[in-house]
Amino acid sequence: MAPSVGIPCSLLYFWFYPFWETFFRELGARVVTSGSTNKQILDLGVKEALADACVPVKLYFGHVQALMPEVDFLFVPRLVCLNYQTTYCPKFLGLPDMIRHTFTGSPPLIDIRIDVREGLHALPKAYWQAGRALGAKHAAVARAYLLAWKAQRRYLTLLQKGLLPGEAAPGKSSPTGKRPPDRRGRLVFGVLGYPYLVHDPYISVGLIARLQKMGVGVITLENIPPRLLYRQPLPLDKRLFWTPGDLVYRAALYLLSSRRVHGLIHVTAFGCGPDAMVGKYLEQALRRHPEVPFLTLTVDEHTGEAGMATRIEAFVDMVRRPKAGW
Amino acid sequence: MPRVTFPHVGESYRAFKMLMEDLGNEVIVPPRPSRRTLDLGVRHAPEFACFPVKILLGTYLETCPQGVELIVTTGGVGPCRAGHYAQLHKKILRSLGYAVDVVVLEPPRLYPLDFLHSVRRLNPHRLSFRAIYECVRRAWRKLQALDNLEKLTHKIRPRELRAGETTRVYRRVLEWVDRAYTMREIVEAERAAAEELQKVPQDPAREVFKVGIVGEVYVLLEPASNLEIEEALGHMGVEVERSIFLTGWTRDNTWAETHEVLTVKDAALPYLPELLGGHGRDSVGNTVIFAKRGFHGVIQLAPFTCIPEIVARTILTRVSRDFGIPVLTFFLDEQTGKAGMITRLEAFVDLMRRRKGP
Amino acid sequence: MAKAYLGIDVGSVSTNLAVLNEAGEVLAGLYLRTRGRPIEAIQDGLREIAGLLPPGVAIAGVGTTGSGRYLAGAMVGADVVKNEITAHAVAACMMVPGVQTVLEIGGQDSKIIILRNGVVVDFAMNTVCAAGTGSFLDQQAARLNIPIEHFGELALKSTNPVRIAGRCTVFAESDMIHKQQMGHPLPDIIRGLCEALVRNYLNNVGKGKEILPPVVFQGGVAANVGIKAAFEHYLGMPVVVPEHHKIMGAIGAAQLAAEEVARTGRTNFKGFAVAELEYRTRSFLCDGCPNSCEIAEMYEDGRVIGRWGARCPRWDVV
Repeated sequence: MAPSVGIPCSLLYFWFYPFWETFFRELGARVVTSGSTNKQILDLGVKEALADACVPVKLYFGHVQALMPEVDFLFVPRLVCLNYQTTYCPKFLGLPDMIRHTFTGSPPLIDIRIDVREGLHALPKAYWQAGRALGAKHAAVARAYLLAWKAQRRYLTLLQKGLLPGEAAPGKSSPTGKRPPDRRGRLVFGVLGYPYLVHDPYISVGLIARLQKMGVGVITLENIPPRLLYRQPLPLDKRLFWTPGDLVYRAALYLLSSRRVHGLIHVTAFGCGPDAMVGKYLEQALRRHPEVPFLTLTVDEHTGEAGMATRIEAFVDMVRRPKAGW
Repeated sequence: MPRVTFPHVGESYRAFKMLMEDLGNEVIVPPRPSRRTLDLGVRHAPEFACFPVKILLGTYLETCPQGVELIVTTGGVGPCRAGHYAQLHKKILRSLGYAVDVVVLEPPRLYPLDFLHSVRRLNPHRLSFRAIYECVRRAWRKLQALDNLEKLTHKIRPRELRAGETTRVYRRVLEWVDRAYTMREIVEAERAAAEELQKVPQDPAREVFKVGIVGEVYVLLEPASNLEIEEALGHMGVEVERSIFLTGWTRDNTWAETHEVLTVKDAALPYLPELLGGHGRDSVGNTVIFAKRGFHGVIQLAPFTCIPEIVARTILTRVSRDFGIPVLTFFLDEQTGKAGMITRLEAFVDLMRRRKGP
Repeated sequence: MAKAYLGIDVGSVSTNLAVLNEAGEVLAGLYLRTRGRPIEAIQDGLREIAGLLPPGVAIAGVGTTGSGRYLAGAMVGADVVKNEITAHAVAACMMVPGVQTVLEIGGQDSKIIILRNGVVVDFAMNTVCAAGTGSFLDQQAARLNIPIEHFGELALKSTNPVRIAGRCTVFAESDMIHKQQMGHPLPDIIRGLCEALVRNYLNNVGKGKEILPPVVFQGGVAANVGIKAAFEHYLGMPVVVPEHHKIMGAIGAAQLAAEEVARTGRTNFKGFAVAELEYRTRSFLCDGCPNSCEIAEMYEDGRVIGRWGARCPRWDVV
């Protein structure tokens, strides 16, 4: 029987799932995902993870536990660096170790280390190791790798057309049928933050759906082509170290300078280390754009429905009221 | 003369003050972090910035009104946030209206030109490189003397007969080292100070527990940030050994990685093969080493929201189980109360006593 | 008949009602404890405020706000259901024209609202409990056996406040008990508590906000002179506590209702008779998915008029 590979639907899953799922499926493995976050998953994670860890780590622990009894392998990559310049936050660097030393009974981990600074072939080599863990032949891995890239590229194209990670999922409908949302004449907010917060409706308490229901168009980090972001001049002496944090900051600067949004929402996790810095720099950037209202939403495992609704409604009011006049 | 200041890290300011003055700067000595420092720092730093950011900012906010023009501090290459402190502090200080500049000493191993440029800025006397070398050598020796004396207090304090005697003598002899200027004076002051400390009446028969201290560098080195945990432990009859001293840390970050660090890396390898930034891996490696050396317990000190230490803590649970060594962690910030800490430390000492048996 | 507008603010600790005339003046105001039974509190409030109204006044519109705004809105037939931030901002603008900063500390949450030229430009609510809400003060007053009304005056007598550490109420309380056991005098502890609350508030809610005068301090805690003094000390500027500081949310809701009715020309208000209707609530766990949301339902005379608590649209009403 084909081995099953479990992929926790949390952290960078929202960015890379077409690649990961295609890769393992093409290798003949049965891909099992943990599905959307729910209360049970969160509760499991909160129970096992360190109380002082941020909620994304707790969520990841929960997703891993949901998968553990069902799979032969767990895919827990160690993402270090993908752009030669910035690294991921320390929790990504130590992710496989945290999982391995917390869950003694976990299935074997496929914990490939991805660091493109190691050389041109670092990326294919990492996935070759992942393929070898499943006992796949060299040619099969190469083929799966190429197909995975193809799926990922298609996904990125859809995102840049304005679809959100949840909507661009390969299985949901045919890619041709997906139209980018029409934002003309509507209120548009930039919703910036790490994908595992913004696109996980459970932990963000349905932030994006709430905004859409109130008639607000949403642009997220994923909708902006990376080359525009990397071209964005930075008002800093030293670039930020963390890839997602750096991108969020650049996206904010890009949205502000291109005047594409009526409001900006920054979603952050309680106690997030990099965001202590990113948030401060965002605040200073927004000070130069007083015309764009700014809201920071902090989420954690205790975030309640009521508090979230109040903040979002008040923010929408704040943007709308001056436009409508008192 | 440019007016410079720098972070307050334990007693090290005594050596840095000497060095900066030798190079021709007017030094504004940073005050020991106090309640006021904390209030100032917390008020202007991001809420979830780590504790060192807040204390350093508070320190600068205390010295800047005295006309500081230049702040000297260290950099870093991430992914630990410490590498960004200097930039963040500069932005905040500027937005508060202080026209200060920050000289960031990045690791010279990685950025040699940048380092030389920074050194040049701090050298208004335009001393020759040879002369600078001599100044640095003396400052370095002074730093070593300060570290050695502090290590000595860790040994003597748990055995002292009159509570608080060691601290009193230590405060006094520090001034001797402070006044020493030439190489000979420094060596002599250190010897005299050590002898004076040895004269503190001790009880050699007392049962003393050995506890290793691991964690993030700033909260380890600045007693004001860890609520003087080493002193508190000393009074409970615990001899502490700290994994990081400023001399060791500077060496690792300026020249080559020393032998010690390599062994720490090896010790951490089975648990945490990746460098996380900060001292996450060192905390794991040092705990393994302390356990192998037969210590009774390990205390991890980390700033609240410090991710490398959070990752390390998750793995330390396993290390603690594998080696049978108790590990106590404090995540420190301005909300940490001394009363709560003392309660936990007392319980930890009781736990070690019970594990050891009669 | 003179037209008047009713505002109802249902919070976790208190339920407040206000009636404004067309000029925006407060005709009647009411502050009641919610005591965990919002429906009864609303009904009591309606009954009582109907009696306080001068003769010849008819309610031409009603607005609700606060954490129980949807429940209250469904009960009375609100013309507008608004979040408490907007409501508080609107009320502050009416009471103190030109206000630039609103500090609000309520029973279970606290917020800051920044206005410029009468328009909200920024706001924040507490992200951690920060030992910074009214409930905490109430608890400690009860524990120290001091009526909450005297709390502030006692604080003002202190010359040497103690520092109380703790991000959450439990730790703050244990630190406070510790200080008490070390023999610090009561006024110093109480002032320390007031300062800790204000410090936590400014470092959490007020972080990074540009606080400019005039500053208005409202909410139930604004009655506490100790807290007001601590704010003035930390901010270095005078702080205004408006006359109706306890019911500002209700005033704002009434004003918003007036605006809404001016636009639509009609009101949905069911009349004061709802005070006598029978309301029943029940809750159940949804078994549709592993989220197991707790759904609350409200019945008016046996008919479902509202449902809350679901994370998906499955139980949306009616």
